Amino acid sequence: MHSEAAIREPLILGHKTYADITNDIVGPIENKAPRGWYVLMTLASLVAAYGTGCILYLISKGIGVWGLNKTVDWAWDITNFVWWVGIGHAGTLISAVLLLFRQKWRMAINRSAEAMTIFAVIMAATFPGIHMGRIWMSYWVLPLPNQFGSLWVNFNSPLLWDVFAISTYFSVSLVFWYIGLIPDFATIRDKVSKPMMKKVYGILSFGWTGNAKAWTRFEEVSLVLAGIATPLVFSVHSVVSFDFATSVIPGWHTTIFPPYFVSGAVFSGFAMVQTLLLIMRKVMHLEAYITKKHIEYMNIVIIVTGSIVGVAYITELFISWYSGVEYESYAFINRATGPYWWSYWAMMSCNVISPQLFWFKKLRTNLAFTFFMSIIVNIGMWFERFVIIVTSLHRDYMPSAWTMFHPTWVDVGVFLGTIGIFSTLYLLFARYFPVLALNEVKSILKVSGESYKQQAAQHHHH
Amino acid sequence: MSSTKRYWMDAADLRQDPEAIKARANEFPQDLAIDQVLGDARFQGASTGRRDFLKFLGFSLGAASLAACETPVIKSIPYVNKPEDITPGVANWYASTFYDGQDFASILVKTREGRPIHIKGNPRFGINRNPGLDKGVVNARINSSVLSLYDGERLKGPRQRVEGKLQGTTWADADKAIDAGLTAASAAGKRIVVLTNTIISPSTKAAVAALKAKHATVEHVQYDTISYSGVTNANLKSFGKRVFPSYDFTKADVVVSVDADFLSSWGSTTEYAWQYASRRNPDGAMNRHWQVEARMSITGANADVRIPVKVSELPLAVVALHDAIAGKAGAATVGGGLQIDELKHAADALWAARGKALVVCGSNDEGVQVLVNGINNLLGSYGSTIDLDNHTWFFQGDDAAVAQLVKDMNAGTVGAVLMAGVNPAYSLPNAAEFKAALEKVALTVSFSRYADETASLCGWILPDNHYLESWNDFMPKVGQYALAQPAIARLFDTRSWPGNLVRWSGSPAKWNDFIRQTWQANLAVHGAGMDFTAVWHQSLHDGVLSSPALPATPVAFMGDIAAAGAAAKQAASGAGQWELSLYTTEAIGDGQHANNPWLQEMPDPLAKVTWDNYVCMSFADVRNLGLPDYLGEQSPAGVVSVKLGAAEVKLPVVPSPGQKPGTIAIALGYGRGANGEKVGKAAVTTDHEGVLSPVGRNAYPFTSLRNGTVSYDAVSVEVSATGETYPIAITQTHLTHMDRHSIVKETSLAVYKAGDKDAFNHAHTLAVHEDVNGDGTIDARDRKPVAEFDLWDEHPVEGVGHRWGLSIDLNSCIGCGACITACNSENNIPVVGKDEVRRSREMHWLRLDRYYSSDTKWAEGREAGESKISLYTRMEEPSERPSVFFMPVMCQHCNHAPCETVCPVAATTHSNEGLNQMAYNRCIGTRYCANNCPYKVRRFNWFNYVTEQFAEVNPAWDDLGRMVLNPDVTVRARGVIEKCSLCVQSIQAGKLKAKKEGRPVKDGDIETACSAACGTGAIVFGDLNDKRSMVRGKADSDRSYHMLEEVGVKPNVNYLVKVRNSEEAAHHA
Repeated sequence: MHSEAAIREPLILGHKTYADITNDIVGPIENKAPRGWYVLMTLASLVAAYGTGCILYLISKGIGVWGLNKTVDWAWDITNFVWWVGIGHAGTLISAVLLLFRQKWRMAINRSAEAMTIFAVIMAATFPGIHMGRIWMSYWVLPLPNQFGSLWVNFNSPLLWDVFAISTYFSVSLVFWYIGLIPDFATIRDKVSKPMMKKVYGILSFGWTGNAKAWTRFEEVSLVLAGIATPLVFSVHSVVSFDFATSVIPGWHTTIFPPYFVSGAVFSGFAMVQTLLLIMRKVMHLEAYITKKHIEYMNIVIIVTGSIVGVAYITELFISWYSGVEYESYAFINRATGPYWWSYWAMMSCNVISPQLFWFKKLRTNLAFTFFMSIIVNIGMWFERFVIIVTSLHRDYMPSAWTMFHPTWVDVGVFLGTIGIFSTLYLLFARYFPVLALNEVKSILKVSGESYKQQAAQHHHH
Repeated sequence: MSSTKRYWMDAADLRQDPEAIKARANEFPQDLAIDQVLGDARFQGASTGRRDFLKFLGFSLGAASLAACETPVIKSIPYVNKPEDITPGVANWYASTFYDGQDFASILVKTREGRPIHIKGNPRFGINRNPGLDKGVVNARINSSVLSLYDGERLKGPRQRVEGKLQGTTWADADKAIDAGLTAASAAGKRIVVLTNTIISPSTKAAVAALKAKHATVEHVQYDTISYSGVTNANLKSFGKRVFPSYDFTKADVVVSVDADFLSSWGSTTEYAWQYASRRNPDGAMNRHWQVEARMSITGANADVRIPVKVSELPLAVVALHDAIAGKAGAATVGGGLQIDELKHAADALWAARGKALVVCGSNDEGVQVLVNGINNLLGSYGSTIDLDNHTWFFQGDDAAVAQLVKDMNAGTVGAVLMAGVNPAYSLPNAAEFKAALEKVALTVSFSRYADETASLCGWILPDNHYLESWNDFMPKVGQYALAQPAIARLFDTRSWPGNLVRWSGSPAKWNDFIRQTWQANLAVHGAGMDFTAVWHQSLHDGVLSSPALPATPVAFMGDIAAAGAAAKQAASGAGQWELSLYTTEAIGDGQHANNPWLQEMPDPLAKVTWDNYVCMSFADVRNLGLPDYLGEQSPAGVVSVKLGAAEVKLPVVPSPGQKPGTIAIALGYGRGANGEKVGKAAVTTDHEGVLSPVGRNAYPFTSLRNGTVSYDAVSVEVSATGETYPIAITQTHLTHMDRHSIVKETSLAVYKAGDKDAFNHAHTLAVHEDVNGDGTIDARDRKPVAEFDLWDEHPVEGVGHRWGLSIDLNSCIGCGACITACNSENNIPVVGKDEVRRSREMHWLRLDRYYSSDTKWAEGREAGESKISLYTRMEEPSERPSVFFMPVMCQHCNHAPCETVCPVAATTHSNEGLNQMAYNRCIGTRYCANNCPYKVRRFNWFNYVTEQFAEVNPAWDDLGRMVLNPDVTVRARGVIEKCSLCVQSIQAGKLKAKKEGRPVKDGDIETACSAACGTGAIVFGDLNDKRSMVRGKADSDRSYHMLEEVGVKPNVNYLVKVRNSEEAAHHA
């Protein structure tokens, strides 16, 4: 068995046995949900229902119920799309990239992070759909054989690349997540006593036996999927950034976008993981598994990616000056000093300035502060996309077409609605799915568990 | 017997015939041939394949669903005998004439399957024809007039007012009653007044005369809604002729206009527009134009030097001009003129160009106009730039006669009033008095097409035909005749109003016969010996009959300059803190077209405001009053109250660059139907608070009768902020061009004449890594023009087949906006209403960008070391005396179109003729193309604009309004992008026509709607691959540039640098 230096901080606190882990994770599924869950679920589903209503209203009336206009043809719709896709980056990064780098600490968080990814990508995918003027024709973006002769999708269009990138990412993430769930479903199946639950989890676990061969294959598949998923982490948001980078609009037409978008995505994804985990840790009493160490590690990722994003912002500014292009230069001056200056400075302070506070160990290990910061970062990253999209469009080449964008209640409703739907899905996940990869966590119990480490240390002394 | 009832199927059943019972088991008694068929050798090996199966499945499903649908049954009656001239799908054009008392134009009416759908200027005949380009000038009001034909609120038959309520009646009853009424009036010796706008129809005059022959007390009083009495009275005093002269701007090297908006609203604008534009070519003899005015007019925007003065200073400016010129000519001066250096320079230039100079003045004050006549007389304009011999017959109205009429009506000496073409209850300065007077007249008849402000007060409304349903004739000028012919049968039970007069005079002639008779009689006098039938047919075909102009006769000026000077100074006296100038807009004019949604949604060429009138106010005044100086979707305008005597209106304030501080301007022609009168569909709409209210407010109560003529300005009004705000629908919220020289290129004549292309039309180059200049090193000086760079493969359009394109001469564009409405009409552009325009969602495929100059210049500011941020902020501020730049912008049909690459479903593609095409059916509405368009010309259907939601404004919503749609152009549904197609339907039709005739397409065969509407020749369409075409010639000229060339999109639309004649003007200074 892999052994770990004693001075490394334990990843599982307290004296936990394998049975404890099973009980801690499966317990909430077996038992009645706490009152808080019902409260949250009611709230989330109400918001989700309102958002769904807004979406139906949008589809029945037309895109005009949003605040878009002849100059700003995208605003909250694509802002929300990119924001959700970005959030959807953390899960795969945690489960795939950290798996390849053998980061054991990922095991406590990868399940919920992946779930978050899946749900975030679903939310993201909603927007390109509903933002279409004729959503009932949306299947035309798929390269389907048809009766129109040579009529085919336009492979030059970054929007089409988006379709491929997002659908690939979604499929791979979903498979990866589900494969990981199989042994845990089997554990639940074996533990629960209610026949209905047993049946359902039995189906979900695909007849997992837990023999050595199954485990070997499980690990092999995980590794292969991690290998496939890793490039996707980088490709998805690169492709999303191409929507902007390949255009001719000043403020969009920027070669720095792919890495800038990817690091921004990881940045916001980790922030969202923090938001969700900190709540879940508290509500589901997972303090032993999701420790301060985990939080700190994630905060470190946030500082690093946040700083990369900051460098990207400054590089953009520099290039807009250095290039000498009149329109580029204006686009950035307008961002910072024009009518939408507040959104630019909201973005700058949330994304660049505030994460730097995490250099202080005291702050990055402070859970309340981390929670606060995770919200700030997500606000900042929403503004980043808003700034890129709206401030570039509202004053581009033709001063005659310059105008302002004003959101309507439907813009707001749809955005809130996606948060509601996302929360609903996440709450369902937390209630019915194992929120930790319990079998994986068990694999590190004897190496990184606190009590085992202490035992090992005592043993060593003797 | 059993008690249970038994039923049997047939007799065999009853009998229990065993044979039959056996046979019943076998439904088909004979052996079917199924086995034989299936056993047929030819079918051996055949099977129902998956594809066939799916086809059958699909067919059954489709057939079942179709059968389930209730297909609406639309009964259409096909031609049993096809009329000789009408081929379905092929347009017929009829020559006709538009005249409404303010505009006159010889036009061509396009009809499809018997419906008039489009109007353009007559390219071959008429006074509005630009002979240099073979194009007829029309303005937006004229080409939009086709829509008013299909206004559902037109009266559908005669109406009689009984006990205060309008009710339907029959023509026979009306004829009888009115004949009795007229007879009674004349028998009582009371006057019978035919009150009309200026009648230039010889036949109508003859009809009035015929009525007078029957009833001796008949009298014809003419009244122009926008009065020119001051001008005509002055001509009477100066030259003994009460006429509005013909002006010839082609002969004027120097034009000085004092408040005369002659390109938009003053005089015979359809003539002046082409005349003026023909002298704006920098390669020809370019004129020099001074404009002295208080508000920024379209004419002022075109001027080389614009001198803003207050309204009260305008008469003094005329005095100053007069005195300066009189001084040079050694004639008597008046003294007390306005002391402005620029006016002296203008006078110098006029004097230097005497004989080729022209001064026009928009004032309706007789004294001021006598002074102007004096100036023109001293300059020798009569016989050169002003023609009194071949004068117009326009503007015969007499304000004094109308004022007297109102008094007489009140006094009870008027027995009958018959009104046509006028709306005195709305537009008279003393409208209230008129309304009261109308009550005292026994017989009141209106020939209005609507139950409008005046008609709804009359005893009878006998609706006139729309002019496109009518016969008519015109005499716009001495020796010039024109005909109007119906392009459609009458839609409703209406009559041509002069025909009523003919009928009531006892003549049996129908109106069209009456016109023929009038012409025949006239021809017998003026064209003795000519074959009338031939002349008539030719005139009908051409729309016009003209005889050679009369030779100029010497004029003797007999005006009293001293008295005129005194009158002018009197007009200028009594100035208060605020002065008011009333004007008419390009779109709405005097208000009779206020019900036309195309015109209401056409942005004002300067203010870019739609669906409202407003107070134009200088930025300084706006800020002093603490009102908002930025207007946008969520930035409403501040409301002020304007008071003059008893008249008061509350209107929003639009900050207007170029407006003289201390003077405000308000457009007339708005606020129609304020008391709930049914004046037409779009004149009254639901406002932002959901209340049905008129569009704008009526400003006619601010007019006043002064020295016998109606005055359109007031030197002292009260203006106060009300603290209220009002949403304004504005299509261009930004005012300046931000020194973006790859969009706006403008130079002075001197620089242009110097011939250095780089100085006025600098080409964009990019540094390359090769030794371009051959100096042995590769450095930043090695540059290539942008045109040589390609990211993509070139579309093979250059030199292959056709390559359609437009060339837009910014010097010829006067900013009238006729192209916008022509495009609306040709391409079925939806009208979306004020609220959508306010949200920057107007659908116009063609827009007219208007930029004001700023006092802050980028290059100067940078040299002075000012920061970019501060410069950009200051460049947003327009100059107090801006120069104005008009720029029609439509899809640029880029050969490297950024929209084409980004569409995920290839809904927008490039044609092999250089067109950027839009397949509406394929569009899924991602709007990515619109975002990626650097010119922002793409429009999205945010809603289904052809639904009840837009019923108030969109004519395509109701069955009648829909008749105006061009059947060659798809009406776009919700959720798709649309944009300029370069009138691809016309291109196809033109190509087809040439093909049928077995010849290549000639230059000029095909016109887009905008190029055909542009009588000044600013927009030229053609084949860029045709080296001899006009458009190619322009594209190759030194002035030609592509907007935003450095983006590298390679448009097929080019612009020609605007050249102002300002250098010489400044040189004088």
